[in-house]
Amino acid sequence: MNNNRILGFLFILHTSLFTLQSQTVIDLIREKPSYASCNYDIYPDSITKPLTPSPAGKRPFYISHYGRHGSRYISNRSGYDTPYLMMLHADSVDDLTPIGKRVLHEIQIIMADTENRWGELTSYGKEQQRKIARRMTKNFPEVLCPGARVKAISTVVPRCIESMGTAVMELLQAQPTLQVTMEASKRTMWYMNHQDNKLRRNYMTPEARKAYDAYIASRMGNSRLMAEIFKNPDIVKEIVDEEDFNYYLMKMGLFQANTHLWLNTYLQNLFETEELYRMWQVDNALWYIQHGACKLNGGRQPTSQRYLLRQLIADADSCLQLEKPGAQLRFGHETVLLPLVCLIGINGYDLATDNLDELEARGWWCSSIFPMACNVQFIFYRSSPKDKDVLLKVLLNEQEATLPIATDCAPYYHWADFRRYCMDKLSALNIF
Amino acid sequence: MIAIALPCGTVNAQAQTDIVGKELKSDVNRAAGIYYAMPVTKQKDTAVPGGKKPFYINHYSCPSSYYLTNPKDYEAPYAIFARADSLGKLTKLGHDVMHRLDLLRQEAKDRTGELTAKGARQSRELMRQLVERIPDAFVEKGYYTARSIVQNHCILTMEEAMTQLSAMRQPLQMSVRSSHQEQAFMNPQDKLLTDHRTDSLTMAHFNRFTDLNTSDARLMESLFNDQHYVIANIDTETLSRQLFRLAGNIQHTELAGKIKLWDIFTTEEIRHHWRKQNAWHYINYGGCTLNGGKQPFLQRSTLRNMIHMGDSMMNRYAPLMHNRYTHESVMLALASLMELDNCGVQTSNLDSLETAGWADYRIAPLGGSIVMIHYRSERNDPDVLVKVLFNGHEARLPVETDCAPYYHWQDVKNYYLRKLYRYENTRFNRKNRRR
Repeated sequence: MNNNRILGFLFILHTSLFTLQSQTVIDLIREKPSYASCNYDIYPDSITKPLTPSPAGKRPFYISHYGRHGSRYISNRSGYDTPYLMMLHADSVDDLTPIGKRVLHEIQIIMADTENRWGELTSYGKEQQRKIARRMTKNFPEVLCPGARVKAISTVVPRCIESMGTAVMELLQAQPTLQVTMEASKRTMWYMNHQDNKLRRNYMTPEARKAYDAYIASRMGNSRLMAEIFKNPDIVKEIVDEEDFNYYLMKMGLFQANTHLWLNTYLQNLFETEELYRMWQVDNALWYIQHGACKLNGGRQPTSQRYLLRQLIADADSCLQLEKPGAQLRFGHETVLLPLVCLIGINGYDLATDNLDELEARGWWCSSIFPMACNVQFIFYRSSPKDKDVLLKVLLNEQEATLPIATDCAPYYHWADFRRYCMDKLSALNIF
Repeated sequence: MIAIALPCGTVNAQAQTDIVGKELKSDVNRAAGIYYAMPVTKQKDTAVPGGKKPFYINHYSCPSSYYLTNPKDYEAPYAIFARADSLGKLTKLGHDVMHRLDLLRQEAKDRTGELTAKGARQSRELMRQLVERIPDAFVEKGYYTARSIVQNHCILTMEEAMTQLSAMRQPLQMSVRSSHQEQAFMNPQDKLLTDHRTDSLTMAHFNRFTDLNTSDARLMESLFNDQHYVIANIDTETLSRQLFRLAGNIQHTELAGKIKLWDIFTTEEIRHHWRKQNAWHYINYGGCTLNGGKQPFLQRSTLRNMIHMGDSMMNRYAPLMHNRYTHESVMLALASLMELDNCGVQTSNLDSLETAGWADYRIAPLGGSIVMIHYRSERNDPDVLVKVLFNGHEARLPVETDCAPYYHWQDVKNYYLRKLYRYENTRFNRKNRRR
């Protein structure tokens, strides 16, 4: 089923500052409209770029992973209610065109489908997790060998627990003798899902607000859509906020790629590629201000994941002492993974700028980091447990990624270098 | 009449305290009631008559061992001891108990309501045992689904069980899900019924029963050195209950075997606490006639779904299993509604529960389950047999049979459907409603 759903999507080249970008964002959206929905995008399962063979004489021995839950239903109804209530109001004053009536009908189908499922993992979300787990066993059979240990941790959010369970069950299908433990505890939330309230409260500084407002000013409205849906767009403006309506209706349409309604693209097709693209720009800028190293608010937002980075290093330090550490899988959220990627600087996502217009040209494309089921995997290599020169490579969404440090064996990096780089970065933050 | 019935019941119960007494003696953890972690023990399996094969398993399960849900369960009793300690009101034993409470609260900190490591192992062991007992139902073409209510310890119990199954069979067709959508037959609500649970008459009986089974003075004297302080500052009944609950909860944690709290209670006190809690469960989920005896019907949609599924699965070629993970309270009411073993008992005499065999730790312990297994010789077999594994053992159903513990599906189905319809007739019949 899902081979069909991704049929037609060309594979997406990695969006790195260091690689030549052959496709523009608008190309990507034309091929796969859900790319415009940023964190609601579906996992790019069509990527088949082969991985570089293991470095000479070394073998993978440890996997450290942080992944987002798979495709889910939308977390709460407020996003859907916005266009829905506006449509109901317009309908009750008889201001919907025939197209408008069809749109309302489609919205009602979606609302009914989502009822009692807010935030729950979808079956497509499970399939994403299964495929990622299956590929992990294929790519790294040396790590996930018979009897290997797998420690899986999830946040306490049900969709993450279910993602963990799905992934683990698939690992066991491929390798039944794995020794797996699962945990979903409030005890690990301090690093698995740390939301830094102080940072979060302060991301929209007056400078950021000014720049953001200026950036989105020309991108928000959609009078073409209003004229298509409402009989008297000018009158209906009294009860329908054009910008909100456009934004949330688009989100609602694009979101269905995650559910079993994915074949029904009626709402999605209401929007022209150019309109989807504009909305992507708006969201991309906002995600950058919220979680990127944006100079407009001091560039400290990615530090929200300092605990996770410390824990990743501590876990690796500990696991490197073992003969067969196996794998550590962590299941969490995109609002953790995005700042983590920015904090480490994977693929140049530590980009620091105060010019929102630069983001796109310089390759800061959030949709390439955190679609549903997005993941970062650190794969560790050594020749034997005594080997002091441990290497690692980073996979972002299963694609080899770059780190902002020097190496003589790309895409591999020396663990000692990476560790020092991270520790220096963490200590320079001057906060714990 | 009530005044006469109570003392009689007490005498009667004391004369035959036997089974519950023996069971509590052999494993005092049973006193934890629905928080008793059911051990995975070897069970007897009667051969299936006529060479029939299992083709459908309908499995309802409680969560496995988990930490108490409310942080107050751990913090409140400790706070009482800490305060008394600061005023020098603790005895030597009191100090020691405070230390143990501290260990318990630290162990449970940031884990309340979560599946314990022991619970994870229990869930896997239970699934392993099920697969080993019914190997014919776990084949390559089979289909295995699991559903859980949206409650983390239930979800994890399910994930652990299915993980075990995944390790035991490859390839495996399965579907695992936790959703609010299935609430209707996993944890149904019925306000009209539950509103009647604790009416004033019922509470009058229960309060009297509670009074007759409460004696906390000895315990308080052993823990606190100043009884004036106790009287003025401590709700002894609540503290005693909290300590009892924690005593029963240690078994789920890694502290089991290292510390205990049972030792601060006498055998009789443990018995009293258990009796009160068992009676409360009976009033809420059993056929207690004080509140009308209808509370088990709260699970009528669960039972109806069970019957519906039993019929629907007859058309399948390959085996199928439905696993459902839900609250202990659902299981208490469901077992009572199905009248498994002695669960159907209907009485107004709370003292008679022990002799009647209605004991919560036997009905819905953690890891407990009701598993209905359907057998047939071929796809068109008109005489489908069913057997119910109730917490692992072959259960007695309230239906005649010539091949116990196997029952003819048609008989079982007719019995339960008629029971459900009789009740619904009283609830939804227009004439009855008018009365």
